Amino acid sequence: MNATVIIIFLIIVGMTLVITYFAAKRTNTTSDFYTAGGGLTGWQNGMAIAGDYLSAASFLGIAGSIALFGFDGFLFSIGYLVAYLVVLFVVAEPLRNLGKFTLADMINARFNAKKVRGAAALSSITIVIFYMIAQLVGAGALIQLLFGIDYLWAVLLVGIMMTIYVLFGGMTATSWVQIIKAVLLMVGTVILSFLVLQRFDFSILEMFAQVKTATPHGEAFLNPGVKYKIPLDTISLMLALVLGTAGLPHILMRFFTVRDAKTARSSVMWATWIVGIFYVMTIFLGFGAAAFVGSEKIISTNAAGNMAAPLLAQALGGDILMSFISAVAFATILAVVAGLVLSGASAFAHDIYGQIIKKGKATERQQMLAARYASVGVAVLSILLAIFAQSLNVAFLVSLAFCIAASANLPVIVYTIFWKKFNTTGAVSAILTGLISALVLVSISPSVMNPEAGAAILTGNPIFPLTNPAIVSIPLGFIGGLVGTLVSKESDLKRFAEVKVRANTGGFRQL
Amino acid sequence: MAKTIAGSEDRIAQSKGKTQTKDGKASSKAREEGHIPDFEEIESSAGFKDLMKKKKAFLIPTTILFLGLYLLFNIIISYTNLLDAKFIGDISWVWVFAFGLFAMTWILVTVYMKRAAKFDEMAWETLKEFNYDKEENR
Repeated sequence: MNATVIIIFLIIVGMTLVITYFAAKRTNTTSDFYTAGGGLTGWQNGMAIAGDYLSAASFLGIAGSIALFGFDGFLFSIGYLVAYLVVLFVVAEPLRNLGKFTLADMINARFNAKKVRGAAALSSITIVIFYMIAQLVGAGALIQLLFGIDYLWAVLLVGIMMTIYVLFGGMTATSWVQIIKAVLLMVGTVILSFLVLQRFDFSILEMFAQVKTATPHGEAFLNPGVKYKIPLDTISLMLALVLGTAGLPHILMRFFTVRDAKTARSSVMWATWIVGIFYVMTIFLGFGAAAFVGSEKIISTNAAGNMAAPLLAQALGGDILMSFISAVAFATILAVVAGLVLSGASAFAHDIYGQIIKKGKATERQQMLAARYASVGVAVLSILLAIFAQSLNVAFLVSLAFCIAASANLPVIVYTIFWKKFNTTGAVSAILTGLISALVLVSISPSVMNPEAGAAILTGNPIFPLTNPAIVSIPLGFIGGLVGTLVSKESDLKRFAEVKVRANTGGFRQL
Repeated sequence: MAKTIAGSEDRIAQSKGKTQTKDGKASSKAREEGHIPDFEEIESSAGFKDLMKKKKAFLIPTTILFLGLYLLFNIIISYTNLLDAKFIGDISWVWVFAFGLFAMTWILVTVYMKRAAKFDEMAWETLKEFNYDKEENR
């Protein structure tokens, strides 16, 4: 910690607070609060989606993973990127055409039943909470290292900052913080990548040749199998990644911040390019860290490798670059958790309070108050959970969130848009089957039950063999929807015609 | 008339609680104004059917293709060492395949953008046929 670090931190944090101040003045309605008034342009929203996606887990986690495990660290990047095709082809446009604030709105375009909305809100909240804990635990560990303060204070600091963004600036502030952070993150990554490549005389071949001698894994570092050794487990995890993105509430919510399907589509395109280019550069960060920092130092600073990128920045650019990268990482965490708080709050305030309890009859003032109370509620709850979850494995929590998103949300989205006979019972059973099976299977998996004492939450032999249950729970979510639909036999073909026309033409939005 | 206001904020504010057509005041109000479209009629029109056919002809095979290639990649690297062979220098085929998936993503996104513009045009034509091509129906 020195003066430079503090100054760079203050500049970046100050900048985000200025944005929040201006956004707060423009946040008067629930539509402003949840969706920035629906007025973001394609590139703005694309940057914000990319920003939501390039969380600390991506930036610090993947760079660290590549540094420690080589190609296996890069595997996550591939899944995360290809996932955008699922988002673009399957969910982005219908979601924008049918929905308003939340995923439940979109499903309710077809079934206006409280139980469907309740189930959708429940799965969204569950995903948000797991994702949130992961981000906050990661943030706590990072801030603790950077500032040398206690974990507790670190989590509180991040928690309070994110609450300020959401509470006062809503989606407008969150989006702009996200956009600025995405630009800073790209700038930082480009600088680091350039410095790394410079050390290898701008030769990729040279980089591969040298890095192989720099790590304890040797040749194996350049091939898969260092970290992921159980084939079925790997495939299950990769399925969760590629299908989960299309069900993540904070990503889905981003499609309501644009005015039409065309803009939703172009935001996915922007996001795909930004995220893709970023992930290519994580290779340089990871390889650079392996070669110029060394795995010993990376592990001794943080066992999960999360400090690889900041350490690389210090090795190549000194304290100033390290401060910049750390400040960007800090802004990253803040922006991502702010987006998560918003998506959790929208499920509580809009779906549960506004639509279920108040039956859509709450006044604008009541809705705004509910949204703000819910934001504080979600923030406080996740801060408390994060304080108790300090020792939990962050990567496990993130992959669990993706698994639930893919198992509970994706099947119901796909059926709602494409399946004529799908009905209310089917919708509820698709969501609940996916959600419950993912949670139950994880709780009896090696991630929770480990024969070695202290390695996981419970000691004992796991009943379910895979660490990530996606390969079982995703099909179960689809089967749940199928069985529920066939059992109840009700169907509303007229309503489906409407949903089909609206989803595919983008017409009749205000009905 | 709030419905004719073009500003998206106003439209969204207006549509509060009106996303459900089947009940509530929104639909009855719309019906009085003669705004309730016959969705089944639109759905069974030649233009809309053609749109759905073209959309499916593109989306279904492409989705199977990219998910298939992605899964194939993960299966190959999980169960075999086929891709560990060197491509050039110390770079093995696994990196080449991985970048192929990156390139595939970018290419498909670009191709879809072009296609979707055509789908938009078709959708617009269909709505026009039913006189729903005014801004208020967007």
